[in-house]
Amino acid sequence: MTERIPEAAFWCVAVGLLAVTVLLLRQRGITGRQRSRNTELAQGLRARDEELRHLVAVRLPALEDGPHQPHPAVGLLDARLADTDFAKCLDSVLDRFSGAVEHAQSRADQSAKAALKASMRSIQALANEQQVSISEMQDRHDHPDVLRDLLEIDHTNAQFGRRAQAIAVLCGSWPGRQRATSALIEVVRGATSRVRDYRRIRINGQVDIAVESRAVEPVVLAVAELLDNAARHSQPNTSVEVNVQSVHNGACVIIDDAGVGMDGQATEHAAALLAGRDAVDVTRLDDPPQFGFAVIGVLAARYGFSVSVDTRSPYGGVRAVVFVPAALLTHADTVQEAPTPADPTPTPALTTTRTSPRTTEPAEAITAGGLPKRRRRAPQASATAEERTAAPTEEIGGRSAEENARRMGAFARGTRFGRAAQDASAADEAPHENEGNTQG
Amino acid sequence: MTPRRRPGERLVRSYVVTDGRSHPSRNTLDLVTLLIAADDLPLTGLSPEKRRLMELCRPGALSVAEVAGHLELPVSVTKVLVADLMDSGHIVTRAPVPSARPSDARILQEVLDGLRARL
Repeated sequence: MTERIPEAAFWCVAVGLLAVTVLLLRQRGITGRQRSRNTELAQGLRARDEELRHLVAVRLPALEDGPHQPHPAVGLLDARLADTDFAKCLDSVLDRFSGAVEHAQSRADQSAKAALKASMRSIQALANEQQVSISEMQDRHDHPDVLRDLLEIDHTNAQFGRRAQAIAVLCGSWPGRQRATSALIEVVRGATSRVRDYRRIRINGQVDIAVESRAVEPVVLAVAELLDNAARHSQPNTSVEVNVQSVHNGACVIIDDAGVGMDGQATEHAAALLAGRDAVDVTRLDDPPQFGFAVIGVLAARYGFSVSVDTRSPYGGVRAVVFVPAALLTHADTVQEAPTPADPTPTPALTTTRTSPRTTEPAEAITAGGLPKRRRRAPQASATAEERTAAPTEEIGGRSAEENARRMGAFARGTRFGRAAQDASAADEAPHENEGNTQG
Repeated sequence: MTPRRRPGERLVRSYVVTDGRSHPSRNTLDLVTLLIAADDLPLTGLSPEKRRLMELCRPGALSVAEVAGHLELPVSVTKVLVADLMDSGHIVTRAPVPSARPSDARILQEVLDGLRARL
């Protein structure tokens, strides 16, 4: 009996030990798994920490530089985290951040543009006003010394006005001035007037092409910016050659300088700006700000001409080509005698009083000082004299039937114009007066 | 009332027209000096303003003031252009027709007396 007890105890202990061993083994397996899971989790946590740090240090700053790209330039650090909720959360953080950056940037850009535009427009208006007074002084004073000073002031004022105009255009404003249709050569010379080194610019080429009135000021401004670039980036003793050519479906202004030229990167950058596809960010121009190409790009896109600077000039510098399409051009013959389009209403005083048979030529032009221009009539004098001697022989009552009809028609027209103009001038007076002041 | 062009709206400024010069190369020009164009010289190489000036003067004589009015340029600027054209031989000038010589006061008095006696 006593022997049985130890045996039973032995078995009990053995079973117990076995159970313990099994338990221990199982526990060990569990612990091992736990440990590996722990390390895995710790690794995951570390990866996430790293990922967060990466987000703050690399991915968000990358967004600040280019928030317009749809996909962030820098991706996840650890590829294993892709497709997890964590990665999705990070992406949504990025999205929110880029949205905020974009919003802030566009607001800053808008307010900068609005402020610049308003101030530049007022400066532009002042420059225009000053130009008018300088021109009037030039007309009034005859002394060469006075003229010399006036020319200097006028030149500085023209450059000053151009700067203000360029910045205003960049901020979304219109070029500002309505001009009459002008010959392309005159347009290029007008651009020359607004450049510091105008005496170095040589204009070649004779084309009888004129630019439509709505495109005159934009083309002048664009060519002026190119000429300024060309003159600024070349030696003061070299000349800037401008060639005006008529091409198949438009006209070209080719500007060659003998300057330093542009490297590949600068050319690419310039081409991107000149294409005018992207909105210009005023807050992101270089320091000192470089407006030139950006302004040309805005104008070219808005008015439909094109500018390229990617050719090398035979003189070693840059060759800039402005292509003005036929849609913006007209023939030069119609320009010379055309009345100023600013005032489309016919002047009743002239039409009624000038219908006498002697004046077969168009209504007389007026000088800048408001005096009628004397047209030379030497070759026509004999013809009119012949007419006058020949006329009475075939007419009854001094004038022919057509002559009478013409006179009556002219009289009726004159009366109508006179009455219409009287009504219109009473209504129009106030807005006309205003125009001069707000013009800018 | 007349469609007057404002002088500030000239596209090509005066300093481009004169190439920056303000002093005419000669000082003999007056508002009423008559300009006569030489017919035989070619117009190549002249600036557009000078060419227009020549075309204005080709049919006969015009005064400096009239030319300035046609070109819509200040008189002082026109003088610089005319002086250049005189230097190159494109233009010759003629002094203005002298105004009538003021007669003697005595003769005038006699005429007056005569008229009074008759009327």
